[in-house]
Amino acid sequence: MAITKETIYIKGEQNVEVTKREVTLGDILSIECANVEMIPKIKALKLFKIQDDGKHRYVVSILKIIECIHRQYPNVDIENMGKEDVIITCEDEKTPNKFVHGIKVIGVTMITFVGAAFSIMAFNNDVETTKLFGQIYTLLMGKQSNGFTVLELTYCVGVIVGILIFFNHFGKKKFSVDPTPMEVEMRLYENDIQTTLIENYSRKEKELDVGKATSAGTYRT
Amino acid sequence: MWVRQLLLALIGLSAGVTVAGGLFSFVVSLGVVSDFADRTHTAKHILLYETSVALGGILGNIFFIYQISLPVGIGILMLFGMFAGVFVGCWSMALAEILNVFPIFIRRVKILKGIPYIILSIALGKGIGACLFFFQGW
Repeated sequence: MAITKETIYIKGEQNVEVTKREVTLGDILSIECANVEMIPKIKALKLFKIQDDGKHRYVVSILKIIECIHRQYPNVDIENMGKEDVIITCEDEKTPNKFVHGIKVIGVTMITFVGAAFSIMAFNNDVETTKLFGQIYTLLMGKQSNGFTVLELTYCVGVIVGILIFFNHFGKKKFSVDPTPMEVEMRLYENDIQTTLIENYSRKEKELDVGKATSAGTYRT
Repeated sequence: MWVRQLLLALIGLSAGVTVAGGLFSFVVSLGVVSDFADRTHTAKHILLYETSVALGGILGNIFFIYQISLPVGIGILMLFGMFAGVFVGCWSMALAEILNVFPIFIRRVKILKGIPYIILSIALGKGIGACLFFFQGW
């Protein structure tokens, strides 16, 4: 019987957080193999060990992970379905400080609230909305505006409608299933950070890759 | 007469919707709020921040248009000033960042070190500039 090569499909997220000191492949990858017995074995493979406590960040090339599997199982084919580099952030298991967290949330909420109020007022001031409304009123009605006309009222309603349509939700109530613009922006920002991290590590040659001597506690068995 | 009133209402409503769309798209796309959420590791409250921006815009606009006076005292005024300052500071830097001011200058002038000092001097310059603006009454 000819030896058929097993094919292992691996898929890694770009950004993984671990709390254990010993990082196994199961922590950072999802693995699929036709031979079901192989999956837990691969998952238990140790990638590297973090010696000291504290916060650490590693960028691991997928080649390093493939090498790690090949060292134990040389006769398997590995197909990577995910990203080429994986960021592994190791944080101590800590109880998040609820108080500090609450203060931060309140702080950001206040800044965004006041900031938004300030921006719209600065805008109105800059383009002289009130003066312009007076001019439009005189143009259409042929008399002086007293500053409290239907124009100002509908402008306020318009701003409310515009903001709610733009942000697509108010409080926890969403108006459609799409993500809100800020959720999209947040993801874009995270992607930028991850790309930057990977490129920084790769440029400084601190990425864990094959054929490089690295200072991190790589497992050599 | 009511036709003209209707026309005014239409203008006001359209102006409001357009201004809100434009201004808040500007605020969000510059990434100021997502920056805040990321720095403070509170990204899961992003919906709250969004609501806060929306509410700020709505109330700020109403208070400005109707010139509603709200005597809250010097303490709240100081807080308002400070928060608005933080927001505008981040906003102006985010604008510079989006326009790629720093990468281009750093590449042209070939500065490799001392970037933290450049950032500090930008911050100080902006602060002193703002002070000068207000104290001179420009």
